Parts: sequence; C-alpha cells; structure tokens
Amino acid sequence: MKPTGHVLTDRDGKPTRDQPWIFRTYAGHTNVRASNELYRGNLARGQTGLSIAFDLPTQCGYSSDHPLAEPEIGRVGVPINTLDDFAVLFADIPIDRINTSMTINATAMWLLALYVALAEERGIDAATLEGTTQNDIVKEYLARGTYIYPPEPSMRLIVDMYEHCLRHVPRWNPSNICSYHLQEAGATPEQELAFALANAVGLLEAIRSRGRVTADEFDRCVGRISFFCNAGIRFVEEMCKLRAFTALWDDVTRERFGVRDARYRRFRYGVQVNSLGLTEEQPENNAWRIALETLGVTLSRNARCRALQLPAWNEALSLPRPWDQQWMLRLQQILAYETDLLEYPDLFDGSTVVESKVAALRTGAEAEIRRIDEMGGVLAAIESGYMKTALVRSQADRLARINAGDTIVVGRNRWTEGLPTPLLSGDDGGIFRVDPASARETVEALRATRTRRSQAAVDQALRALRDAAVAGDNLVPASIACARARVSTGEWADTLRGVFGEYRPVTGVEGQRLRLEGASVETVRARTAAWTERHGNPPRMVVGKPGLDGHSNGSEMIAVAARHAGFEVIYGGIRMSVAEIVQSAVEEDASVLGLSVLSGAHLDIAKLVLDELGRHGVRDAIPVVLGGIVPDDDIPALTQLGIRAVFTPKDYDLMGVMSRVLDVIGAPVGQSAAHAASA
Amino acid sequence: MAAAPPALDDATRDLLERAARLEKHAVGRLVSLVEQESAESRSRRAALFRYLAAHPDRHPDAARIVGVTGTPGTGKSSLIGRVCLRLLEREPDFRIAVVAIDPSSPVTGGALLGDRVRTQFPVGEPRIFFRSQASRGDLGGVGRRTFAVTRLLRHLFDLVLIETVGIGQSEIDVTRLADLTMLVLQPLAGDHVQFMKAGIMEVPDVFVVNKCDEEHLARRSLAELASALEFAQVGVRSPRIFQTSAVSGLGVEEVATFLADQARVRPGPGVRRAQEAFFLRKAVAEAYGRFGTDEVERLFPGGTLPGPEANALEEIEDRILASIRSRIR
Repeated sequence: MKPTGHVLTDRDGKPTRDQPWIFRTYAGHTNVRASNELYRGNLARGQTGLSIAFDLPTQCGYSSDHPLAEPEIGRVGVPINTLDDFAVLFADIPIDRINTSMTINATAMWLLALYVALAEERGIDAATLEGTTQNDIVKEYLARGTYIYPPEPSMRLIVDMYEHCLRHVPRWNPSNICSYHLQEAGATPEQELAFALANAVGLLEAIRSRGRVTADEFDRCVGRISFFCNAGIRFVEEMCKLRAFTALWDDVTRERFGVRDARYRRFRYGVQVNSLGLTEEQPENNAWRIALETLGVTLSRNARCRALQLPAWNEALSLPRPWDQQWMLRLQQILAYETDLLEYPDLFDGSTVVESKVAALRTGAEAEIRRIDEMGGVLAAIESGYMKTALVRSQADRLARINAGDTIVVGRNRWTEGLPTPLLSGDDGGIFRVDPASARETVEALRATRTRRSQAAVDQALRALRDAAVAGDNLVPASIACARARVSTGEWADTLRGVFGEYRPVTGVEGQRLRLEGASVETVRARTAAWTERHGNPPRMVVGKPGLDGHSNGSEMIAVAARHAGFEVIYGGIRMSVAEIVQSAVEEDASVLGLSVLSGAHLDIAKLVLDELGRHGVRDAIPVVLGGIVPDDDIPALTQLGIRAVFTPKDYDLMGVMSRVLDVIGAPVGQSAAHAASA
Repeated sequence: MAAAPPALDDATRDLLERAARLEKHAVGRLVSLVEQESAESRSRRAALFRYLAAHPDRHPDAARIVGVTGTPGTGKSSLIGRVCLRLLEREPDFRIAVVAIDPSSPVTGGALLGDRVRTQFPVGEPRIFFRSQASRGDLGGVGRRTFAVTRLLRHLFDLVLIETVGIGQSEIDVTRLADLTMLVLQPLAGDHVQFMKAGIMEVPDVFVVNKCDEEHLARRSLAELASALEFAQVGVRSPRIFQTSAVSGLGVEEVATFLADQARVRPGPGVRRAQEAFFLRKAVAEAYGRFGTDEVERLFPGGTLPGPEANALEEIEDRILASIRSRIR
C-alpha cells in the first residue's frame, strides 16, 4: 500500500493544499495621501492585508497641532486627526473586503470608531468589517510606552470594545495580546509565553467580572482574542514556543474559563518576526535572518501564523522604502507558492525532540504564570514593577552574552570584517527619509476640517463622550458619534484625560541589575573617581527621552550603566517635552545631558534641545550626547549642530558608551585606560 | 592663626545675584557649590555664607524648612507636586524649592535619582525649583550636604521642602534640619505599627494619610492612626492630621493652606544656630568619632555656638578641625 501519511486532504478526502496566511507589511508614514499611495501599491503587488502604522501623536492621543506632536508628525507612521483623514487614507481601498490591522493601543477605540464611521459614510455594514486593533495596554506599560490613562480605565476601554464588537462588528478582533514587544524588550521564551497568557487571562477576567455579556457571548469573546507574536533567530525553539502557546491557550481557556467549543479555544496569531536581532553592521545579512525567522512561524501546520508581516533588512537603519517592503513580500510569496510547505499535514506531530522541547517550555511558563497569579494577576505584577524588572534583567543578560561573545552575532561580534554593502550605495543611501515639509499638509487639513465642521455638533459629541465616561456607559457609540462630528484625535483623548487622568508609571530603572564586571568597568570607574576627585562631586547625568516615542529600554540601560560607572543619574521617565528635559538639566546642574531618540526625529530634537539650552545660557556649559537609531550619514550633521557624541545600536558595549561620555565631560584618561585604548 | 577670610569672588557673587532673580541655572550651580567637597569649593562656600549673613537686607534668611518623609510607595512625590501647584496658583509671589534625596550606591558611588518622574512641575516657572540629591555616603541620606543646601535655599525661597525616603535614621535627622516634619502614610499599610516600633511616631509634627481615594478606607485608617498616636502617648502636643488623595485632589487645599501659613512663621531665636551646631557635631563625629565630639564639647561647652554675627559656621568648623588636628599630632 502506498503511504499517505504525508498527504494533506480536504473534508472529502481529496488531496489539497492549505491557504496561505495573510501577507502584510507594517506601513504608513508622512501623511494620509502618501500612505494611501503606499498601501495601494503594496496591494497591487500581492499583499493581502493592510497593517497600519500610526505616528506617535496619534498613538498618544495628540492632534497634529499640539506642541508635543510637531517633531513627530508622520515620522514612524501616518498621522490621523479626523474622519476626513481616514477618507483619504482608505481612498480606493475596499474596506469591506480587506483585512486591516491597526497598531494602535491607547487610542484604539478612537481609531475603530473612525473606521466604523468611515464604513457608515460609504454605506458599508459594520458587521462586514474585518481586522484587528492592537489595543494591548499591558505591553504598553511594560515595553512600548504609548499609554495615556491609568491601568483601570485603560482596561475598561478595551472591555467596552469587546462588548461592542461582539454585537456590532463581530468579525473584528478588538485586541491582540502582544507577546511581540515582550521579546523585543528582552523576554525569554518562557517569559514571553507566561506574560502574554497572564495578560490574556487578566483581560478575560475583566470582561467576565463586568458581567455585561452572557455565557455564550463570553465564549465568543474568547474566540475573538488573537495574539501578536514574535519569532527570533533560534527558529526551532521559536517554533516550539508557538506550539507551546497553542497548547497552553487551550488549557487556559478550557480550565480557567470553561470554554467548551474547541473553535473558540484555538490559538490564533499574527506575527512580525524579530527586529531586535537585526544588525546595523552588514545589514544585508538581515535578509537571511528574516527568512529563517519566518520558518519558525510557518513550518508547524498546527501552530502556523494567520498573518505575517516582515521587517525590512534595513530596519536597524531607517523606515523601509517601498522596494524594501516589496523584497520582503516576495519572500512570503515564494515560501507560500513556490515551495511545497503548504501541501503537508503537520510535520512535527510525533517528533520526540519537538514534543520534549515544547513540554520544557510549557513547564517553565506554567511556573511563571503561577508566580504572577500569586502576585494577584497581571495588573498587580505590572504595578509592582515585577514584570518590567524581569524583562530588563533578561535584556541585560542577553546583552551581556553578546558582549562576552557567548552569543554569536555574525557581523557584530564575529566576522566583523566585511565588504561594503552595495545595497546602501543608491542615491538615497539605502534609507528612507520623511520630508519635514509634509507635516504642513496634515496640519492644514486639520485646520480645514475645523473650519468646515459644526462646532456645536463637536461640543455636543464631546459632552456626550464625557457623560458616558463618568456614567460608566460603553464608550464606543459615543466615540463613533464623535468621529461623525469630525472631532479630532486630541479632542477625543483630552476629554477622556479629563475623566480618567494620565498615567505615570513605575520605570524600569528601579531595581535593575546589569552584569557588567571586569576590566572595562574598573577602568571606567577609576576615571569617574578621578573626575569626582577633581570636581568635588560625582558627574551628574540627566537622561531624557524627548518626544512621544516610548521605547524606554535604551535610555533605561544607559541610566543603569551610568550609575554603575559611578555617575549620579537623574532619570525623568518617558514622554518629556524638550523644555522639561532642559529644565531638569539646568536645575540639576548636569555635567552631561543624554538624550534617547528612536523615532528618527533626532535632528529636529537635537536642534530644539540645543536652542533651549541656549535660552538658559548654558549651551556650552552642558554637553549633550545622543543615542538612537541614527543613520551614519546623520552623525556629521548632529556633530555639526553641537551634539558631542552619538550612539547607535552598534554601541551595545555599555562601558564603551560610558567611556566616551567620560571623554565628553573631560575625565582624565588613566593609565590603564590609555593602555586599553592602545591595545 | 588663619588668614583673613577670603571675600566673595566675582563669579560667585554674580551667580548669587542671578539666583536671587531665580534664574534656574544659577540656583543649580550654587547648590552644586555648597554640595561639593573640594578645598576650593569649600573656601568659596565659606565666603558665600559669610556674604549671605552680612546682607540680610538683600538676601533675607526667610524660608520655612519642611521635611516630608514616609516609606516608598506612599505617594509623597505626587502629593508634593499637587500641593506645590496649588500654592503657586493661589500665592502669586510665593517661591518654593523642593530637594528630593535618594541613596547612592555604597559600591560605585553612583545613584539613580528618579523623583522627577513623579513630581510634575510646570516648565519655565521660576517660582519653583526642583533638585535631586544623592546621599553620597551620608548615613540615612540626610546629612551635612542636605543641611548646606537648606542654608543656601533659605535665602532664595519662602518654602523649602526636603523629601526623604525610608524609615529610621533619615526621619530623625530630617527633623534636625527641618522646622516642621510631615510623615506621609498610606491607608492601612501597617506603616504606623512599624513607625511605632521604631519610635518614630513621636517625631513628626504633621501626619498625612495619603491615597485616601476611598472614603471607608480613609475613615478606618484615620481611626487606626488616632489610636496608634494615643498609644504612643504623643498626647503632649497634638499633631495635625490630614487626609489627602493626589488623584481626587482631596485635602490638597488644606495642606496648601497649612504650608502657606507655616511659611509665614519665622524661626525662633537660636533655632538656626542649634541646627548648625547639630550638623557640625555630626560631621565632626563622622570624621573623628568620639574624640572629635569631645573636642567640640571642650571648645563649646554644652554645644552652644556663638551667634552668627560673631562667627560664620565655616570659621567655627575650621577652628574645631585645626584644634583636633593639632591634638592628633
């Protein structure tokens, strides 16, 4: 008899082939017009879903004419102010037939309201809309930083969306549980599993305890929960991690929540593969990394992703250009259509190695979940700083292993000599730049909408939103009414700020440990001590994170490294205005001001900071250093402006960074340091 | 005998004039100067304080020093933020300085000072000044450098708030440099039991039960505090108790009113001198132990220093140190 175990069959027993996952590209920049053009181009090239990147002001609930917004408009995503913007963004895109994923969290309800209002105006039934709002506030507190409100009202907004979508937008995933950002923040596979599942449990408990859904509706809510995962370069382990996820989610939904229908217990997930491991050095190698990481989430039929978006090979350098995105889309298409991957049943069922690895991951994750349960659940574990501290520690371990050469990263700590990359030699230097003048179009459009709209209707819609917030009513209908009335993003968010307040979190700096020992630490400390001896006080460093970008890990690492080096570090947390940071530096009489800018706005921000220092008359007295995703080409411009040292992802050796900071503040170079430098 | 004390150099005098106009960087530089431990800054500091004492008309020593203390997590920083904002709003000429103290690492000497995260003050408002201070080896955090900073800020502001963390030594020491000490508690955290054990319930002049976001919680907590105070027999003076919530704003107005009234109270005669004597003695004790304090006692029986018009603190310190060193030789 002919073996048939390898043949994938349909319900009628006929050989078949799986449908591929949804192909997406995380995209959006400049303004709605440019982004619309980009989306239509990507769809024409065979992309099957949209993944919308919003700019930071939109994510943090500021309209484009807010002072904090100015340097960030259109930088890392598309700016959205009113329904008029959405109409342009989706012009000639069939929103009733396309699956749209929005990376939006604190203002997710607002963006969903805009999408529903847009559908209404186009005569499309909201019940046909398909897509996802990321809407995972927990990981914003832990890693990403675009939160607005305190945890409780934030959870309420999410629960409101589940209740509303269940009845009116049933094919929409109101939120994603994001394990993606946990890995980017340093999580081990076990931590990624445990923290994400604890997060999902917290959400489901919030929905259930509010008691506004029936048992049957609750099961459907469980079925609507989808995950957004990450996949790193250890792709066998990553594949096992996703199999462990599938099994654990089945356990959790059955045992904790008694969901009987297996369909609602299915672990559904989308992926963006790892950006953390991409290197600025020899960036062309990232294309291979991305391809291998893709295997981790596609090889297992039983734990295959539903949607996949790939970063671009040059992501460590800048936002991707259209061609970079096309190249990565082609990778997906080749894997799905040229290879035979989709012709087989699960390849690993019965593999003793895979099963054992999955079991080991499960055991580790279950222990961690128990620990979080004992602390009182996910919100308690965040508020106490437990999760953040654990992530920062894992990240520090990871960096320490790369530092020590225990983890090999090709081109970074091994085989670092390479030929120059021809990919970077085009006219644009291989990177993408947002035209700073394009922001004006966005602000003008907002002004035009403001003149056109009825102010009375706006006031009434905002009053109704406020009343509903105070009364505890579901806020989605009031938000849709705001969208129709052409309320702006900032007006919507401010109204709720007035009711809920704003959140200032525990930062990850407290309780951090870095494994930084050995000669370089001793050398750096000796230089700090010499400086201290000469000045009568230790060097004081103000670490500031200007603007809205909330990825705080880099600045926290520097803060901890500086303390380790013997500095007094004044750390102000994220989302500070330039004026606030400079005022801190001035009041604290900083020996050096360190800025962290990851949004790409480093040139604008550096200029603002230096001007502001000038206003206080200390432009020469307080030297400024800057770290971030800075393309090599921008470094001379920053130096020209007056930034004294620039650090990029290449500078992963933290004591090396501190050594350069000591150079900037004029610390004497000790004998051992001079020796080390010449060695 | 020591040479005539050096006069205030032009650069420092310029800083002082700008600081008196509340230019932030000038205030920041002067704070660093009085904190620094080099010989050069010490002599500049001595000249500065002598100059300040000699010009009470231009730089009156007029501030009220208030210590704010309590275990981590009681919401001190947020509360201070709310109260200060309220004070600035209602008192158009009122000037406030806040000094927040955090520990330094005994191993590296480094420190992470994170209080700015929680205390959100307006930008560009000269009437409020915030400064983080690392304990730099001073046990309990509050030490001679904190004291030196209050000696300066007293001449520039109307109210100086010193925020310290922890329970124990620092709570005792902060009362030595503050005219008034507030202990911030959170409802039903069992803090008062801890404090009672440590003998600290007798220390504060004012109790603030913060985070009173829920009424029944606040009521119960207040009852517990009252009974703890009774138990500790603090009955001799009856401390003020406030209930506050930085979230709802409960009690903020009351605390602001209280502090505004307090800021009008001038210290009694000899109070500042007694504070100086304490920190002088403490510094000598840290450097020379019992031998040093015996010498202080020999030179100034009963710990009474001559009045400020007679000698600046730095000169007295020089005299003591010279005497100690001559005896060691």
